[in-house]
Amino acid sequence: MKVEVLQERLAKALNIVSRVAASTKAGLPILSNVLLRADDKQLVLTATNLELATVEYVNAKASKNGTITVPAKLLSSFISNLPKETIKLSSEGDKLTIEAGGYKSIMNGIAADDFPELPSIDEKEAVTFKIPVDLFKESVNQVIIASSNDMTRPALTGVYLNTFDGMLYIAATDGYRLADKKFVENVKSEIKAIVPTAAFREVLSSLSDDMEEVEVSVVDTLIRFRMGEVEIISKLIDASFPDYRQLIPKKNNLSVALDKAELLRMTKVAALFAQESNGSIICEAKKEDGSFSVSAVASEVGENSSAMKADISEDAKVTLNSRYLLDALNATTEDKVILEISGKLSPVVVKNVKTDDYTHIIMPLKS
Amino acid sequence: MPNQWQTVLDEIKSNVSDMAFNTYFGKVSFNSEPGGVVVLTVPNVFIGTQIEKKYQPVILKALKASKIECKEFRVKEDDKGNGTTVKRGREIIEEPEAPRTISLPPRIKTIDDRSTKQDNGLNPRFRLSNYVVGSNNDLAVNAAQHIIENPGSRYNPLFLYGGSGFGKTHLIQAIGNEILARNPKMKVRYATIEEFYKGFVSSMKNKIDNWSKQWRDIDVLIIDDFQFIEKKDATQTEFFHTFNELYSHNKQVIIASDRLPSQIKDVDPRLASRLTMGVPVDIQLPDFETRCAIVEAKAEMINGAIDKETVEYIADNIKTNVRDLEGELNRILLLAEVRGVSTREIIGALEPISQPTRRKLSSKQVIDKVAKYYNLTSKDLLGSSRLKDIKNARNVAIYLLREDGLSTPQLGTEFNKDHSTILHSLKVMAKNMKADFTLREQISEIRSKLNAN
Repeated sequence: MKVEVLQERLAKALNIVSRVAASTKAGLPILSNVLLRADDKQLVLTATNLELATVEYVNAKASKNGTITVPAKLLSSFISNLPKETIKLSSEGDKLTIEAGGYKSIMNGIAADDFPELPSIDEKEAVTFKIPVDLFKESVNQVIIASSNDMTRPALTGVYLNTFDGMLYIAATDGYRLADKKFVENVKSEIKAIVPTAAFREVLSSLSDDMEEVEVSVVDTLIRFRMGEVEIISKLIDASFPDYRQLIPKKNNLSVALDKAELLRMTKVAALFAQESNGSIICEAKKEDGSFSVSAVASEVGENSSAMKADISEDAKVTLNSRYLLDALNATTEDKVILEISGKLSPVVVKNVKTDDYTHIIMPLKS
Repeated sequence: MPNQWQTVLDEIKSNVSDMAFNTYFGKVSFNSEPGGVVVLTVPNVFIGTQIEKKYQPVILKALKASKIECKEFRVKEDDKGNGTTVKRGREIIEEPEAPRTISLPPRIKTIDDRSTKQDNGLNPRFRLSNYVVGSNNDLAVNAAQHIIENPGSRYNPLFLYGGSGFGKTHLIQAIGNEILARNPKMKVRYATIEEFYKGFVSSMKNKIDNWSKQWRDIDVLIIDDFQFIEKKDATQTEFFHTFNELYSHNKQVIIASDRLPSQIKDVDPRLASRLTMGVPVDIQLPDFETRCAIVEAKAEMINGAIDKETVEYIADNIKTNVRDLEGELNRILLLAEVRGVSTREIIGALEPISQPTRRKLSSKQVIDKVAKYYNLTSKDLLGSSRLKDIKNARNVAIYLLREDGLSTPQLGTEFNKDHSTILHSLKVMAKNMKADFTLREQISEIRSKLNAN
């Protein structure tokens, strides 16, 4: 293999690809390597941990096609420290020679034959969507915050892609909160698939400003994301996701619109006093005073209470985990939020005022 | 034959590196199917791809060395969860090629058929065998059994009434299903009055002449949600004629409504009297034991694991209707599933406040509220006036307080009455509660006011 490529492009690509390889636990050595394949006008970089794979296509000038694998982290660090020049890569047996200006190094690699072959998607069976990058970023960020990392319940460690009433939704829950977002409208296919949250995180960190849309393809064992020159493939989590729509309360006693910035500030302040009680804060709406208050009591530190004016139709009181409330508020996109409260133990709904495509639910704490 | 596969694995192990073996074969299991098919179950699609594309020769060689017949070799992903469905539809976003309908055999969830409705309007899920009988509905069930044995004879028409979610629909659907089970040739038709009305309107609009005929040519007519006939005069007339036609031919008519015909606004008195000439039977809110039985039956229907404490918790806290019982049961089962704990742990974390009836109000507060509801003062209620309105309101207050757990002697002191007077009031109330729909409504309204603050 003999190929020439720009340092900037290669460094950026390796940065993305090597994340997957570097996260491999001690295991098969080749899994911490990146596969380089020179293919006429491009250099293809691939890394996988056998659950997730990242592929990036970089423009290059190949004078001799070929393949090799080398340790991903080492190559990535080395290339990113080189000056912005053209880099010459050439392989000879299991060794990769890298030259750029006065810099030269030879890395010991492993022959590409042992590198795992990636599963491929049967385009005829796949359901494919294209989603604008901004919408993708916003929606996924709004949802993954609620996913769990408790490996004993694999279904909750993913984001649930599901079609309902002709729409594609993404949802995640850790059993204490739940986020649900309308993702794509007018969907004719039927999808129920749990995508590992790690795959979505990987996609999010691979997105850059010059990308316009993310193409998502799903089959029954795999999901593939394509954006710009990057391609990420992940396994699906084969488990059944709880029928979460039942957890969303259909009607609530109190629905109140509140200024988000103010409520965030009140919650943050109360959280300082709630450290002793594991973040538990009390939200209270009083119809008579027309006020909404957030308070916390810490017997050691003292206590705190803040209130704001609000149009309250019904008295309500609920104890929440301040961290969950902060996460939920930050996930909404408008200046005002709607809080819906029913009883002390009924789930609290947080959503936007004008748009109705995002629903976040927090289970109250037992006070 | 686990040993046989162990030899195969050992054979493979001797041909690949330890690391590669642990990575790819560590969680693979072998299985043989008839006809020399060997199936390898792999943890995920990445591993599956390696095995299929890279290690197939090694595996085939190992199988051969262990003298296992292998004509066909298949790799499948571990499908214990079976939770994934991808069915491609006609997506507008895709390339404008001819749309393909794809069905993926291994993992498509069968669509739940619980809500299947047949042409005759009956849902086969509703049977008498899964209807819980209690003191609240034994009369109705008795009548239902008579009808199933002999449609069109003694209880004709059967008019069932009771609050929403008390189980009327289940019972009348069950009657239809049981009749059909005994005699599949019977023409049974179930419809809500809404469907009847819509059909009627569109037949008028589209000038369909034989529309009324199809309703007059059946053996058992079951009409649900009859109260919605309110204000639909022409529909009433049509229904009146349909009813007469069927009745005069001794066909069975079954009607369910949330109140008696005479209590539905604008129902023609002629129709009302005809509908109640059979027996109007009411279904009431199930008592605690029956509610427990219902929760257990529902849990069994959906295969939910539930323990006695949870059943009692639900029955004790939900006193509105069967639908709410089911809702609470589902909610608890779901929470248990999501959090991965038992239902008992879930109810431990919940407090019985989802249903606020538990709240203790002082007897003075209750009396005040009742007085206010009837535009009286609490002095009236606590006094000795025997004016009808006051007496009735007083009885309501006594009834509510008794429900809250006050003893009759306590009530006596509260109202400055004899123990026996109180007992009499309670008896009157018990009787009226059975007969008078408006009273039931008043009570539930007052109760929700009491719970509101």
